[in-house]
Amino acid sequence: MKKATLYVIALVTMVILLGACVPTTVAKKDAFPLMYSERPLSILVLPAINMTTAADAKEYYLTTVAEPISYAGYYVLPIEVTTDILKSVGLPDTELVGDDHLRKFKEFFGVDAVLFVRIITWNTHYSVLAGNVSVGIECALKSTTTSGTLWNYKGTVVVDTTSSSGTGIGGLITNLIATAIATASADYVPIARRVNYMVLGTMPYGRYHPAFNADREVQIIQGDMHGHK
Amino acid sequence: MKRSLVLFFVSIFALLAGCASQNRPRYVWKDYSSSLYYIKKTPTEESLKYHKNLLLAMIEESKSSNVRVPPGVYCEYGYILLKEGKKQEAFGYFDLEEQTYPESKVFIQNLKAYASAPSKKDSAPGDNNDVKDIKDGKAEVSAAAEGK
Repeated sequence: MKKATLYVIALVTMVILLGACVPTTVAKKDAFPLMYSERPLSILVLPAINMTTAADAKEYYLTTVAEPISYAGYYVLPIEVTTDILKSVGLPDTELVGDDHLRKFKEFFGVDAVLFVRIITWNTHYSVLAGNVSVGIECALKSTTTSGTLWNYKGTVVVDTTSSSGTGIGGLITNLIATAIATASADYVPIARRVNYMVLGTMPYGRYHPAFNADREVQIIQGDMHGHK
Repeated sequence: MKRSLVLFFVSIFALLAGCASQNRPRYVWKDYSSSLYYIKKTPTEESLKYHKNLLLAMIEESKSSNVRVPPGVYCEYGYILLKEGKKQEAFGYFDLEEQTYPESKVFIQNLKAYASAPSKKDSAPGDNNDVKDIKDGKAEVSAAAEGK
């Protein structure tokens, strides 16, 4: 191969790579200024609002949320515990949560912010030759101090399942139940994860992130940002 | 020639590393979300036990890797113990959560008070003011919604 050809390939690859990770549209600090002024640290995740006909979507979805929030640098209260408590005290549907509740969440849970998740798409299409699964969510982070919306974003991930092989969890499949878990969750958890990382990836980093407060100029895609309501 | 190829791969690697998640807090989550998903789908004694052991493994591995135990994990483990009636052990894990994440203090204190309430079901409304407050909020919001 000629040297010149190699350089062209190299350049094109770099452009593609750069294009893939830095879509130049809006800086985080301009999109979510309140995140940088209020600097929330602790987050309570409310039961998801399910806009789809898949009744179990809401319970399943929440199992994938804590991990990406922690990687974004925030403290997230244990969703399994808080959901149980909210259920036992009779919290209304998340749709009905108002500013009064936000203040009470601050008193009881001591959190700076509350995350609302709305599941907007949850579809499985199968035909003889092809199949795909799409999961779409819309998130809003609200301050328990000012009731302001600190951050919101939405995104959808469509995955072609035609040739999907179950994603193994390396090294962990040591017994039958682990295998069963990997198989049962392969259809859905990886997709929910992808949509989470896409959506939560736009959130300014929290205090536990090494780049906390250093991501003001990071550009995010504006496309879906103000689409809700 | 060879050198330029090496340079090329090094720069590609640097670019990928730059936009991948290498720069983020370090946590040991193992297959937490898959396991949790599985107990929602198939809540058997076996799957619940697997999840409980997984939480403990996450704690142990975090310690041996010298990283913070992920948010909420101590507390979730303690909560399982609480449901098993092991209150004292449970409270120990709640304390660990608070020590690891001081911002959880308010929640942990209220959780302990909630767990110590004589009998949640039989207690008269108002025994736990914080919990009652959340309920009151509900009443207000419901009334507001009906009024519309």
